Amino acid sequence: MMFSWIFYVVFSAIAQDTTLAQEKELDVVDFQHVKDVLKKDGLMQEVQKKKKEVSQIREIRAEEEKARYLWPSEDDFWPLATEYWLVKEAPLLLWDFDRPDYGLEGSFATVLKTVGMLQKRYRILALNAPAPGHLGLPWSDQEFCLLFSVPFVRAMDLSKLEISLLLLEDVLRLQEGWLKDFARPANLKTLVGSNFQGKKPDYSAFYEVGKSYRKFLNEKGYSFQQQFQITKKMNDLLKSHPDLWNAYVRLLGKIDRLVKGNRQFADYVKLYPSPEMQIRWLAPEEKVP
Amino acid sequence: MSALMVLLFAVSAWAQNKAVGVFYFTPILGHVHQSPTRTSPSLTTIQCGHPLKVIEDSKVIIGEEWSLVSVADWKGFVWKKHLAAKKPDCIQGRYPKFFDGLSLDLAELYYWGRLHDHWTEGQVKP
Repeated sequence: MMFSWIFYVVFSAIAQDTTLAQEKELDVVDFQHVKDVLKKDGLMQEVQKKKKEVSQIREIRAEEEKARYLWPSEDDFWPLATEYWLVKEAPLLLWDFDRPDYGLEGSFATVLKTVGMLQKRYRILALNAPAPGHLGLPWSDQEFCLLFSVPFVRAMDLSKLEISLLLLEDVLRLQEGWLKDFARPANLKTLVGSNFQGKKPDYSAFYEVGKSYRKFLNEKGYSFQQQFQITKKMNDLLKSHPDLWNAYVRLLGKIDRLVKGNRQFADYVKLYPSPEMQIRWLAPEEKVP
Repeated sequence: MSALMVLLFAVSAWAQNKAVGVFYFTPILGHVHQSPTRTSPSLTTIQCGHPLKVIEDSKVIIGEEWSLVSVADWKGFVWKKHLAAKKPDCIQGRYPKFFDGLSLDLAELYYWGRLHDHWTEGQVKP
């Protein structure tokens, strides 16, 4: 009797313990309870925050990857296309040579300053080819890209002031944007700043620019009307600086004599017509008696 | 004795080459030159953003326009105006896929670098 009573007590105690364990287990898998605990601890917010961070990082990375496929902006396109053309034309333009130091930096900057072109940057490249005698190439609004031929300036024994005035003419042409307009590819507007992720980039416009520069040099050139405009602008800029104005007239006279007397430079007038007319346009108008 | 020789050699090498700092190349492409002149032969072609260790060598006397640099196994000269203390914003960095797609050949890379040796650059200051 005693034994069975002890057995009952022990068994019921074990049974009670088992129930408690199951209850505990139930507590653990009670998701609502877990959720409440997590909510209470702020862990759910933490998970949400982490998820948001991960998604933000993924978005940023996707944007960064997309940005790698950008077509250059208009401002970056022209310097890049112009430099590429100069690289391709290196064997023709012969700019990789040991050139004399003309001390142009100071002289050209002084001329630009005198005519009020402040805060502008410039880059000048000397060529060992006889043509083009000089040329302004599209770059950016704040920077001018200018070329001049050493054989051309040497044939006339130009001073650094005269070379600077020659380059000033090209600055005015660049400001008019004539060569840029001529060389501007038809589809450029749709390409600049566009994204080509997942597509093959369209380089046709990029290569077309160089072909247009060459076509302009060999075939098109500046018109008489454009030359007249530039000459008048030079006159307006220089007339209050007699030393510069006289140097400009002297320069045009030298070019006129060179292109008429030296067959090597005879094609100059196809690009810049005509030094003789330019001198006439500069002459003071005769007063009617 | 040999340890002393090594130490003396190291000290003399240190005295000869003094590091000025690391600078970054700024033009799109360029060259490390054999001598400090724009037409001197190229030792190696480098790209914008390339880090270059500028050094001073008591045995090398150069003008103010050039820096003596050490890059990989080369020791040569770079225009000072082409170096920046901070990493520059390079066109290759802005348009990496576009620039890669140009697939420039060795001659083009070489001439593009040479072009930047020949520019005369300036700004009109008020």
